[in-house]
Amino acid sequence: MTDKTLFLIPLLPLLCGALNVLFGMRLPRQLSQAIAVGGVASSTVLTLVLWPLSAGAGTHVTLFTWLDSGTLHVPVEILFDPLSASMTLMVTGVSTLIHLYAIGYMHRDADYARFFALLNLFVFAMLTIVLADNLLLLFLGWEGVGFCSYALIGFWYREEKNASAGRKAFLVTRVGDVFLGIALLWLFKLFGTLSISGINAGASQLAPHILTLLVVLLLLGACGKSAQLPLMTWLPDAMAGPTPVSALIHAATMVTAGVYLLCRLFPLVSLSSTGLALISAVGAVTAFYAATCALAQREIKKVLAYSTMSQVGYMFLGVGTGAVAGSMFHLFTHAFFKALLFMGAGCIIHLCGEENDIFKMGGLRKKSPLVFWLFLAGALCLAGAPLSSGFFSKDGLLAAAYAHGTPFYLTIYILGAFTALLTAIYTFRLLYLVFGGTSRFTGDLHGLPKLMTWPLIPLALIALFSGVLNLPEIFGGHQWLDHLLHAAGSGESHPLSHMQEWTLAGIATALFAIGWAVAHWRYSRFTPAQEKKAVLFFLHGWQADRLVHATLITPFAFLSRLFWQGADLAVIDGILESLGQGCQSAGERLRTLTTGRVSSYLASLAWGLLLFMLFFLLQVVQG
Amino acid sequence: MNPLSSLPILSLLIWLPLAGGLGCLFLRPVRHASRWIALGTTGVVFALTLFLFITGSSKNGWLFFEDHAWISRFGIRYTLGMDGLSLLMTLLTAFLLIVAVLISWQVSPYPDFFFSLLLLIECGIMGVFLSLDLVLFYLFWEIMLIPMFFLIGVWGHARRLYAAVKFFLFTLAGSLLMLLALISLYLLHGQQTGDYSFALSALIHTQIPPNLAWWLYGSFFVAFAVKVPLVPVHTWLPDAHTEAPTAGSVILAGILLKTGVYGLIRFGFPLFPGPAHASLPILAVLALAGIFYAAWIAYAQNDAKRLIAYSSVAHLGFVILGLAAWNLTALEGSILQMVNHGITTGALFSMVGMIDQRAHTREIARLGGLWTRVPVLGAFFLFFSLASLGLPGLNNFTGEILILLGTFTTHPVWAALALGGVVFAAIYMLRLVQGVLWGPTKGDEPWTDLSGREALVLIPLAILVLWLGLHPSTFLEPVREPVQLLLQGSMFPSMPGGMP
Repeated sequence: MTDKTLFLIPLLPLLCGALNVLFGMRLPRQLSQAIAVGGVASSTVLTLVLWPLSAGAGTHVTLFTWLDSGTLHVPVEILFDPLSASMTLMVTGVSTLIHLYAIGYMHRDADYARFFALLNLFVFAMLTIVLADNLLLLFLGWEGVGFCSYALIGFWYREEKNASAGRKAFLVTRVGDVFLGIALLWLFKLFGTLSISGINAGASQLAPHILTLLVVLLLLGACGKSAQLPLMTWLPDAMAGPTPVSALIHAATMVTAGVYLLCRLFPLVSLSSTGLALISAVGAVTAFYAATCALAQREIKKVLAYSTMSQVGYMFLGVGTGAVAGSMFHLFTHAFFKALLFMGAGCIIHLCGEENDIFKMGGLRKKSPLVFWLFLAGALCLAGAPLSSGFFSKDGLLAAAYAHGTPFYLTIYILGAFTALLTAIYTFRLLYLVFGGTSRFTGDLHGLPKLMTWPLIPLALIALFSGVLNLPEIFGGHQWLDHLLHAAGSGESHPLSHMQEWTLAGIATALFAIGWAVAHWRYSRFTPAQEKKAVLFFLHGWQADRLVHATLITPFAFLSRLFWQGADLAVIDGILESLGQGCQSAGERLRTLTTGRVSSYLASLAWGLLLFMLFFLLQVVQG
Repeated sequence: MNPLSSLPILSLLIWLPLAGGLGCLFLRPVRHASRWIALGTTGVVFALTLFLFITGSSKNGWLFFEDHAWISRFGIRYTLGMDGLSLLMTLLTAFLLIVAVLISWQVSPYPDFFFSLLLLIECGIMGVFLSLDLVLFYLFWEIMLIPMFFLIGVWGHARRLYAAVKFFLFTLAGSLLMLLALISLYLLHGQQTGDYSFALSALIHTQIPPNLAWWLYGSFFVAFAVKVPLVPVHTWLPDAHTEAPTAGSVILAGILLKTGVYGLIRFGFPLFPGPAHASLPILAVLALAGIFYAAWIAYAQNDAKRLIAYSSVAHLGFVILGLAAWNLTALEGSILQMVNHGITTGALFSMVGMIDQRAHTREIARLGGLWTRVPVLGAFFLFFSLASLGLPGLNNFTGEILILLGTFTTHPVWAALALGGVVFAAIYMLRLVQGVLWGPTKGDEPWTDLSGREALVLIPLAILVLWLGLHPSTFLEPVREPVQLLLQGSMFPSMPGGMP
C-alpha cells in the first residue's frame, strides 16, 4: 500500500458524488443512498487504517501538477499530519452519521439523488481543505464547500426565499474569499511557492508589519467562511436548507474551516502578536454578539445557528491566545454536540409537523423522551455543564486567555465568561420552551423514521464524553490532543497553577448554574412573548441585515442601473449617435453640392486633384 | 519527416472553409446539403488543427510557414506562419465553429446562405490568426467583418439591423485607422531602407520617430480595442451579441473578441514596443474599468443574453490585465483565459439559445424554475455558470489565477483590485442562475430536456471546462516559447530555410 492511497480519502466521496450526479436520477433510491453513505463511510475507515502515516511530521504526497507557469508550480499535494488527520477523522466520522440521518430525513423527498450528490461533493471539498498542503488546492476546497453550501441551502429551490439565502451565503463568504485570495497572491510573491509547509517554514523571515497585514487578510478570509463579524449575516439565513445540511455544513465542518485555516497556518499567524490579538478580539466580540441574538430567536434552528456563530467565536478567541490544540479541541467537541443538536432539532421539527417556532412547541419531554434525552445531551455540552465535553473545551480556551495575564486578554476572558453565562441562559431557554411545560401546538405528533434517531445515540455518547480527548491534568487526564498536536508545532502555553485552574473551573460551573437558574425563573412557565423593541433588535441580529442593505446593496443596484442607462446608453451611445446625426446633417448640407451639373463636378474634381498634387509636392520637397 | 509538411497546410486551414462555403451555395438545390457540408468542412478543419496540435505542440519556433510573392509591385506577400499561439487560437476557432454549425442545425430562413457565411467567417478568422503580412492580415480582418454583419442583420433578433450597423461602423472605424497606420509604416520603412514591404518581420525593424510611433500605435490600438472590446468603445458588443443568432454570438464572443487581443500581441507590441510598453498602465486602468464597470452593468440586465454579453467585457478585462502586467505567468494566463472564455461563454450563449427555443423568451423575469422542467439542461447551465464565475477546478479559475498571480508579483494593487471583480462576477452570475433555474416554474406546457444534438454540443464543452480547469498545461505548453520570445522582444524564432 503506497502513500498515494491517502488521496482516496477525499476522492472516494468525489467519485460517489460524481456517480450520483451522472446516474443518480436513474438509480433506485436505495442504491443512490448506499453509494453516498458508502463513499463517506469508506473514507472514515480509510482514515483509521492510514492513521499511522500521520505520526510525527506526517506524510506528504503529491498526485500531479495542477498549474505550471514560470516560477509558479502548483502540485496537487496533501499533508497527512496529526492536525489534518484528526480533523479528517472528525469530518468523515460526523459526515457518515449525518449521511445516515439524512436517509431518514429525506425519505419522502423525490430529489434524493441531487441531495446526496451535493452532500458527497461537499465532503470531498471539505477534505480537500483539510488535507491540502498547497494554498491553491486549499482554495479549491474552500470555494468548493462554498458552492455546495450555496446549492444545499437553496436545495428547495422552488421557493425564492431559499434560493436567495443560498445566494447570500455564497456572496458574503466570497467577500471573505477575496481577502484570502489577496493573502494567497501575496504569499506567492513573498515565497515563490504556495506550499503550506514551505510558507510555514519560511514565515519567520518576514517583516513584522507584513506579517500583521497577512494575518489580517487571512482573518478576514476565515471570518467569511466561519461567519464571524463582520461577515456573519449569511449564517442565520442559511438555516433555510435541509437540517442535515445545517448539521454537517453549518455546524460541524464548513463554518469551522476558518479556524482550521488559522491553525494550519499557525506558525505564520503566531508571529504577529497584533494579529493574534485581533483574532481573539473578533472571536470574543462575535461570541458575545451571537449569544445575545440567540437569546431572542424564535426559530429553533436560528437559535442553534447563532449559537454556532458564538461557539466558533470561542475557537477564534482560542486561536488568538495561541491555544491551537485547545481551539481544535473545542472545534471537535462542538462538531459533535452541535451536529447532535441540529439533528435533534430536525427530529423536533419533524415531530411537530414542520413547525419551526419554539413558542408553538412545548411539552415534548413526555411525548418523545428519546429525542429529549438526546437533545439534552447536546444542550448540556453547549451550556457547559460540568464534566461534559463542552465544559472542558470551552473552559480550556477561557483559561488560555486568562493565562496571558495582560489587561487585553483579561478583557477577552471576561467577555468570554459573560458569554458563557448567556450561552447557558439561551440553551436552557430553548430546552424549557421546547420540552418543558405543556404542549402548545395543535395536531398530532408525527412519527420519526428510525434512521433519524439511532445515528444520534452514538453521537450523543461521543458528544458527552469527548472531553477525555483533552482532559486537563487536574481532572486526571493526560491532555492527549495537546500532546498530539504539540508535536505538529502548536503555540506557546502559559501554565496555570492548579489553584488557578480550579478557580476557573469553579467560575465556569457557577456561570452554568446561574444561567440555568435565570432560564428556569423566566422560561420554565411559558408566557406569551411581548414584542419589545430590544427583543426585536436582537431577533434581527442587531439589524445587521438592514445596515448591509442600506449601505451596500441599495447603492450597488442603483449604481448598476446608473452605469447602464446613464453612462452606457445615455453618454457613450448618446455621443456616438449625435456624431452619427452630425454626419447625416452634414450629408444633407453637402447634398446641395450635388447640383446635377457636370461642369461643377468637373470643377471640384480639378480642385481636388490640385490639392492632392500640392500635398504630394510638399512631401517631395520635404523628403 | 512529417508527411503533412509537404502540404500547404496553413493555406488549407484558410481556404478549405471558403471552398466549403462555396459548396453550400452551389449545392443549394439539394435539401439539407449545406448543413452537412458545413459540418464536414468544420470537422475536417478541426481534425487538421487537432493533428497539428498533437504533433506540433511540443516543438519550438514556427511550426509551419508559407511564403509566396503576391503583389510584388507593392511588396505585398502571401506569408503565413503558425507558432504555438496561432496553433492554440486556430484550434479554438475550429472547435467553436463546429459548435456554431451544430447549434444552427435547424436555422431558417436560407440555411445555405447561413452556413456559407459561417464558413466564410472561419476563413477570415483563420487568416487573421495565421497572416504575417500586414496587408494580408488586414484583408482577413475585414473578411471576418462582412459575413458577421449579414449574420446579425439577416438572422438576428428584433433589433438586428441597428445592432449590425453599429457593429459594422465601430469595427470599420477602428480598422480604417489601422489601415492608415500600416500604410504609413510601410512608407516609412520603405523610405528608410528602400525595401517597400508589408512583411511583419521587416517592419518590426523600422526606426519610428517617437511621436509618430505613438500615433501609429494608437491607431492600431483603437482597432484592436474596439474588437476586444475595452471600455469605453464596448457599446457595440451588448447589442451585437444580444441581437445575433446563437451561432453568431458564440463566434463573436468565443473567437472574434480574441482577434483583438491577438492583434495586440502579434502586431501591436512587436511593431511599437516603445509606446506599447509605456502605455501598459493605461492598459491596466482600462482593464480594471472593464472588469468592474461591465460587471456592474451586467447585474442590471434583464435579458439573459445581454447579461452574458456584458460579462464578456468583464472577462476580457482580466485578459487585458494580464497583458498589462507583462510577465510570463500573467501573459500565459491571458492566453489561457482567451481559450477559457471562448469555451464557457460559447457554452453559455449556446444554452441561452436552447432555452430561448423552449421558452420563447430570454427575459430573466419571465424564466425561472428550469431545474424542475429540464433538469439536465439546468445542470449544464449551472455547471457553465460556475465555470464562468471562476470556481476553482473549472476552467476560468486557472486563467484568472495565473493572471492574478503574475500581475501581483509586479503590480500588487492592480491584482488586488481585480480580485474584487470576482465578487462582482459572482453577483451577476448568481442572479442569472437564480432567475433562470430556481424559483417556481412559470408556465406548464411540457418541455423536452436536452436533445441528442444539444448534448453533442455541450458534453465536449463540459469536458474541456474540466480539462482546462484541472490540467491546463496541455494548452499552456505550446504558448510557452512564443510568450518567452515576446517578453524578450524578439518576435521571430529562426526558421529553417530562413525568413524572407
